[in-house]
Amino acid sequence: MAAATDGLRSPAGPLIGRSVPRLDGFHKATGRFAYGTDVVVAGMLHGRVARSPYPHARIRAIDTSAALATPGVVAVVTGRDLPERRFGALVKDETVLAVDVVRYVGQPVAAVAALAVEAAIEAAARIAVEYDPLPAVDTPEAALRAGAPLVHEAWTTYVAHPQLIRAGNVCGAATIAKGDPSRGLADADHVFEDVFTTEPVHQAYLEPRVAIAAWEPPGVLTVHSNTQLPFEAQTVLADLLGIPPGRVRVITTGIGGAFGGKLRVGVEHIAAVLAQRVGRPVRIVLTMAEEFAAAYPRHAMRITLRTGVRRDGTIVAKEAHALLDAGAFGGSSPGLPSVATLVLAGPYRIPHLSIEATSVYTHKQNFGSYRAPTGPQCAFAVESQMDMIARRLRLDPLEFRLRNIVRDGDEGPSGQVFGKVSLEAALRKAAAAIGWGHRRQPHHGKGLACSWWTTTGGPSAVYARLHADGTATLATGCAEIGTGALTAVAQIFADDLGLPVENVTLISADTLATPYDHGAQGSRSTFAVGNAARAAAADIRRQVLGLAAEVLEARVSDLGLRDGRVYVRGTPSRQVELGDVVRLAMQRHGGLVSSGTFVAPATPYKTDCVSGHFYPAFHAPSFHAHAAEVVVDPETGTVRALRYVVAQDVGKAINPRLIEGQIEGGVVQGLGQALRERIAYQGAYPLVHNFSDYALPRCGDVPQITSILIEEPSDSGPHGARGVGEPPIITPPAAIANAVHDAVGARVTDLPLSPERVLRAMRGRLEGAA
Amino acid sequence: MLPRTRRVRVALDVNGRRHVLQIPPHHTLLDLLRAHLGLLGTKESCGEGVCGACTVLLDGRPINACVMLGASAHGRSVTTVEGLSQDGTLHPLQLAFVECGAIQCGYCTPGMLLSAKALLDVCPAPSDEQIRQSLSGNLCRCTGFVKIIDAVRLAARRLAAGSG
Ligand code: FES
Ligand code: FES
Repeated sequence: MAAATDGLRSPAGPLIGRSVPRLDGFHKATGRFAYGTDVVVAGMLHGRVARSPYPHARIRAIDTSAALATPGVVAVVTGRDLPERRFGALVKDETVLAVDVVRYVGQPVAAVAALAVEAAIEAAARIAVEYDPLPAVDTPEAALRAGAPLVHEAWTTYVAHPQLIRAGNVCGAATIAKGDPSRGLADADHVFEDVFTTEPVHQAYLEPRVAIAAWEPPGVLTVHSNTQLPFEAQTVLADLLGIPPGRVRVITTGIGGAFGGKLRVGVEHIAAVLAQRVGRPVRIVLTMAEEFAAAYPRHAMRITLRTGVRRDGTIVAKEAHALLDAGAFGGSSPGLPSVATLVLAGPYRIPHLSIEATSVYTHKQNFGSYRAPTGPQCAFAVESQMDMIARRLRLDPLEFRLRNIVRDGDEGPSGQVFGKVSLEAALRKAAAAIGWGHRRQPHHGKGLACSWWTTTGGPSAVYARLHADGTATLATGCAEIGTGALTAVAQIFADDLGLPVENVTLISADTLATPYDHGAQGSRSTFAVGNAARAAAADIRRQVLGLAAEVLEARVSDLGLRDGRVYVRGTPSRQVELGDVVRLAMQRHGGLVSSGTFVAPATPYKTDCVSGHFYPAFHAPSFHAHAAEVVVDPETGTVRALRYVVAQDVGKAINPRLIEGQIEGGVVQGLGQALRERIAYQGAYPLVHNFSDYALPRCGDVPQITSILIEEPSDSGPHGARGVGEPPIITPPAAIANAVHDAVGARVTDLPLSPERVLRAMRGRLEGAA
Repeated sequence: MLPRTRRVRVALDVNGRRHVLQIPPHHTLLDLLRAHLGLLGTKESCGEGVCGACTVLLDGRPINACVMLGASAHGRSVTTVEGLSQDGTLHPLQLAFVECGAIQCGYCTPGMLLSAKALLDVCPAPSDEQIRQSLSGNLCRCTGFVKIIDAVRLAARRLAAGSG
């Protein structure tokens, strides 16, 4: 289809900073791109999961006879049929299927494999489980009360990371302590205490999680799934099945949205145990009802902030307490208090800090790592309070922030030392673009907020190979989750080799065929894989130039590489095609191959001021400021975002259009959390079963969005790039809450800012004034 | 063995080709396309008519294929994403989606393209408001819609220039 792609071919020349179209765009636009839901394996059976209807209950008996008698059913598996092995990232607290006790509505209890989907559905419904319902804890506060039921009675027997702080229903806790906060608060002219709450929100990827597990000779378990982290799935599956990881091949399929929801194993393990039992491939596709009941959505949080400020607007001390509703299992939750403390400190110079965040088990689904986990909740609290304090002190919120933000060479909350900090530029640009301080119409308001975030480290390795036709293959263990990060990686690689980016074929995310990668998470793909690709490119480039120097009878230092040709600088007519160099290499020693590796350098921090930390510092940190303009309907309390501005330090924009896409998408997800989205619960029972119960933003809800890319190079990113994927979602709830206050004088401290809450706050304000 | 289920006969045009099929009566149009014709471009997400991922054109009008029975498509003509490009040339909407960055994960893209085509077929020079209106039944979780609207606008302009 050469003609078809002509319009997509990028002109020759440097590729860094160029908005080349994403490499998988053609296949996605024509419907040929294969997602998890499109993959089938010959001879496969269909799996279905039977789930708990109770948040907490003892399983008295399971009768599978009716299910087994269903025509077309091949096998039924319950928790008791499996060896008792537990999995979990920092604490191994979860079994594949419930054993004796269920701990949330939606927990897998049994699974069936059948010849057809319909038969599997029918059989799963016929599994008869007798339950004795038990009292459930539905909030962290309830779970921490004396005498509250323990979600895991045997928690002390679980294998856990030695640094993990646990106690009863507490499954993780982290603190930052710096200076002398009580003295700091005592010395402050004003101390402000405010409480903020948020509700759970869902990644709402359009493609449900899917896995197809097959045992293939010679004893390799092959799993196709739309996982973000094939290498984590590999380790977990090997552990659960008692086989060596080298015998587990996890291949990531195309992914229809993930946003952190497809990090931890979701369905791979159930498909694998069924496949093992029946000796045939088994495929499980989750339903949306299962996705809303048993996934890894964003935590509900309750945050209390006490901030001490001097009369002149200088912040001197801050105390913060945050509770995360972890749900019934650890998953990502034990590690996240650590991240929360850094966001709760905020991008501010504060000499005295006492910050503590705690993940608490409850009888709900396992809340997890939705894009910038804990970021939006913590920034909502911090940045709402910044606005509240500014107004109480009659300071302009922009000025108040500028007085307190961190700057070049400052120390972060855990003692990391910043290089260049572009936050003042971000704040000023965002404020200017929204028309900060200009007069406004009634019920219109503007809000500002800022924050900071990390570029997750972790290792990456790639293999590279040049072909005789002048194209290249780059193999990475990182999955393309939709952001386009691997297109940016291909750009980086192609740029170093003077290749058109279309000449790079990416092979990705296959635990036996591609090298290890820490995975598509934490805004790290372009950063880390890009660096590994640069190393591989440098190696293969050396090889190319060495051979070309022989052919051209020139010195290596005189050679350049451009448009698929090696040429002699100054006499460009003396040149050789890259393909010819590859052919020569193939005759000599089997071709041109290389590998490249990267691991982000550790960011030093002060070990004595943190405890329970798994992410004690933000690597290659990015700073960002958002500004929003809203209009509030005073009769209904409905908020409409009109304009939105993001000014974000991206380090170096490798592909500006892809970055804008991350910003626009992240902002709109953030607006969803700000205004409408919530997984409503009644006690511990979830009330959301599909998109019809869950108010996702639609096309008509989207404001005009302006992206301002600030390029302050990081020390360690490829060409100075910083992580860009997560930050855009962090700040919108705060910016919107501040704009709503500006519009109607009503302060809402609970997310989402539903019309009822806005109206109530408006009424409260009027009553307060009367 | 599975019990043999009843089948119904459906004759329809898909992307300009005539098909005659025997399908179980409860199969949706989406099942017909994906399972019986192997046209995997049309996606399933919510499965209950609220997300638009399964949008196809039925006699030129956009519908959610997941909530329509395959048998009701008898005698009608269906266009899916596979029918958009002709002889290996992308439809201007497809090209604009790729160029504008309107595609991230791409799971919503086939449905978006067909909703957008339905609009441009009847309204060659839509306002932004009309574009938003006509895409309001299609969820996209990745892009924030901005670049999708850009792409539809660009495609409309190019189509108008090409035909005028
Ligand atoms: S899958 Fe048909 S509308 Fe969602
Ligand atoms: S691009 Fe992912 S849902 Fe639209």
